[in-house]
Amino acid sequence: MIGAFLCFLALSMIFPLLVSLYYQDNTTIAFAISLSVTILSGLLLWKFTPAGDQIRIRDGFAIVTFSWIFMAAFGSLPFLISGEIPSVTDAFFETMSGFTTTGATILEDIEVVPRALLFWRSLIQWLGGMGIIVLSVAVLPLLGVGGMQLFRAEVPGPTKDKLSPRVRDTAKILWGVYVLISAVETVLLMIGGLNLYDALCHTFTTMATGGFANYNASIGHFQNPFVQYVFIVFMFMAGVNFSLHFRMLKGDLRTCWRDSEFLFYVTLLLIGTLVLGLATGFSSTFSTTGETIRHSLFQSVSIMTTTGYVTADYETWPYVAQALIFLFMFVGGCAGSTGGSIKVVRLLLLLKATISEIKKLIHPHGVIPVRIGGKPVSRDIISNILGFFFLYILIFYVGFLVMSALGLDMRSALSSVAATLGNVGPGFGVIGPTHTYATIPAAGKWFLTFLMLTGRLEIFTVIILFSRSFWKV
Amino acid sequence: MKIVIIGAGQIGSNLVKRLSQENHEVILIDIDPQKVKKTQENLDIMAIHGSGSSINVLDKAGIKGADMLVAVTDKDEINIVSCMIAGRFNVATKIARIKDAEFSTSGEILTGRDLGIDMMINPELLTATRIAALIRQANATDLIGFFDGRIQILGLHIDEQFNFLGQPLKDVTQHFGELNFRTIAVRRRQQTLIPTGDNCLLSGDQVFVMAETEDIPRLIDIAGLKPLHIENVMILGGGHIGVESARLLEKDFNVKIIESSQEKSAEIAKGLNNALVICGDGTEIDLLAQEGIVEMDAFVAVTGKDETNIISTLMAKHLKIPRTIALVNNTDYIPITPSIGLETTVSKQMITVNAILKYIRRGEIISIDTLQGIDAEAIELVPKKGAKITKKPLKDIHFPKGAIVGAVLHEETVFVPVGDSRIQAGDKTVVFALPEAIHKVEALFD
Repeated sequence: MIGAFLCFLALSMIFPLLVSLYYQDNTTIAFAISLSVTILSGLLLWKFTPAGDQIRIRDGFAIVTFSWIFMAAFGSLPFLISGEIPSVTDAFFETMSGFTTTGATILEDIEVVPRALLFWRSLIQWLGGMGIIVLSVAVLPLLGVGGMQLFRAEVPGPTKDKLSPRVRDTAKILWGVYVLISAVETVLLMIGGLNLYDALCHTFTTMATGGFANYNASIGHFQNPFVQYVFIVFMFMAGVNFSLHFRMLKGDLRTCWRDSEFLFYVTLLLIGTLVLGLATGFSSTFSTTGETIRHSLFQSVSIMTTTGYVTADYETWPYVAQALIFLFMFVGGCAGSTGGSIKVVRLLLLLKATISEIKKLIHPHGVIPVRIGGKPVSRDIISNILGFFFLYILIFYVGFLVMSALGLDMRSALSSVAATLGNVGPGFGVIGPTHTYATIPAAGKWFLTFLMLTGRLEIFTVIILFSRSFWKV
Repeated sequence: MKIVIIGAGQIGSNLVKRLSQENHEVILIDIDPQKVKKTQENLDIMAIHGSGSSINVLDKAGIKGADMLVAVTDKDEINIVSCMIAGRFNVATKIARIKDAEFSTSGEILTGRDLGIDMMINPELLTATRIAALIRQANATDLIGFFDGRIQILGLHIDEQFNFLGQPLKDVTQHFGELNFRTIAVRRRQQTLIPTGDNCLLSGDQVFVMAETEDIPRLIDIAGLKPLHIENVMILGGGHIGVESARLLEKDFNVKIIESSQEKSAEIAKGLNNALVICGDGTEIDLLAQEGIVEMDAFVAVTGKDETNIISTLMAKHLKIPRTIALVNNTDYIPITPSIGLETTVSKQMITVNAILKYIRRGEIISIDTLQGIDAEAIELVPKKGAKITKKPLKDIHFPKGAIVGAVLHEETVFVPVGDSRIQAGDKTVVFALPEAIHKVEALFD
């Protein structure tokens, strides 16, 4: 199974290979070697692992987690072989940051890196955004029935709604919508003056809410307001549940406005923008109102959807604005979007469950169901979300402790954990918007890599492998 | 095809399994959230929790674009209503499980057509019909009809009395003169074998033969298998299946039916003319002895509990009753039944699911029937013009291993083909094949 995914990964290396041929940037050989090594290992694994006909629920978790680790390992080959990122730790960190759509980078000067490598970096974010396993389920017929177990372990969100009876069709729809919206963004960015290469690379990383940019100043490099608004709109769209996009494309606009997660998502974004706008406005961070609105909107959307693009150095903003940006790292996109972190629907349900607990204190005999969109939510889902939330915060605490032990100051330690676990990217302090993760000690990099994977696969899929009951027969 | 199925009971879930394996888009609706969750986890389908007679739920299930609705809950009313709703949504085919015979008998006030139902299926009646056929053809362990019952697949148990033990099949055939038949499968020690002319039959085998219905008694006679004369039949369990079986058999046989509930016994007794209804616990050996179980020629266990049916049938076998039939509903039990000594079992689920699948595929080239405990499937195929199979006589065709032609319907005449026979385009042909050979066979007919 994992072998099949590797072959898939190898095939996707053809694209950067073409880019390197076009730009003649001396990475062609690196890609050719990586491609052959990956495809060979993939085929070998495919051949020598017994093809189990039935994927049990527990197998699903292990297959997905190990597939991601394998893909990050093989995906880092071009960086290593070309010598652009000589250290294994750094290359693995960068690749995992790509696949998990985190966007944390160790590259100090991005602009000197060969174009094909930057293209590859963006492409893996795009593949990881909707999920490479979901893509395989859509394309490879061999996955059939077992695909559901894998699909469930990879797609984010507390409940996984199928858009079609067959998981294969559902995966096809999701990827179809993803490709379609990406195509629209590329065209709009090109209208905004970007060349095809930049437009594609940045589309890949917006749609995946990844956040890798080709320039040291991130999106701040493009000073055209139109381009920045295009980014805002598409980051926003990438943070919306893709099944909602599908319904909208089918002309069903009403469900969208009735979807309570979507409404809560919009409300949170508006509140965030307002807070950032007022804070930066009163402190006169920017010279014009237009700029204030644009930067506030950009930063709140970018951080909340866990994209992690920056247009301005928010570390110079007032403290309240910084606090909000930090808090937004714990929100994330909607369920079924490419955004990371806790997800809007979970927060909404936690809020509603808390309100119902308070009501229960007043009416001890009251029957108060927790509803979402008018429909009651089962206790199972709520207790699952409570467990998720607790685990998320627990990992955050432990991570904070670990990073502090490795010598990071409080600001950097707190934000590095929040930014990697939530797949955001930039943080504060040594990993702030004008810095990179390069200065973090190697042990810290490995730990943060682990957090990125845990965050992308929504905690349980990875953590379950550490539970003793998983390995018991 | 997009198919909506209502009811995740034994029939519904088996149907869902078969259809999803054949790559149909399947949406299942059930009122029990646990069942919905379980099916959703195990199969690649969409399962929705809710009532099948609710317009809202059906709409959510995407009834608008569905090609077919199959309502198989155990409540007639729900099945009828959901078919009516589906009719409003222009669903092409509607199949409902209807217990109440009043709806299905012709000349009634309200017929299936009035209700917008294309096929009404009564699992209990189907099962009772199969049981009655098995009692009448007492040597058969299985009986499945094709082409309106003109051709049958007959399961036979081979014992020491068989005249041609250990002789290759190609020699055996000569002894039967002009009788046409085909040995299509042999089950030997839990394994299914599609025999060739060189194979021979051994004692203990279960053999499946395809033959014309009218030839079957002579066939059994020549084979030397002692024909069973059945006079006394005991039926355990006065449920729907038990009563219907008794009704079908009471004219020709001496039927006793045992039911434990007092009220139900009285009710059954009113509806039956000749059969004797006995009220008591059928698992009590004393009661059975009193009612003369040792004198019985056949024992049929059709209570609602598989375990009771299996145990009481084993008891009957122990008492040397020559013919026993057990109703085994849990499909998980079916593979083990031969090894615990139950040679003839019927399953309401399998019979119903096969009947529905046959209906679904009508008009298409394939119709499949599965035999209990046998891996192979009987497929009905119609060769297209210019198909490979029509070009040469059968013996010259490289027929795939694990597959065999059973019978052919050529312009209203049915025949069992021999080596020199030639199949022509448009002939309905029953092929018996192991799952791995099916695709190769289909290629020959295309």
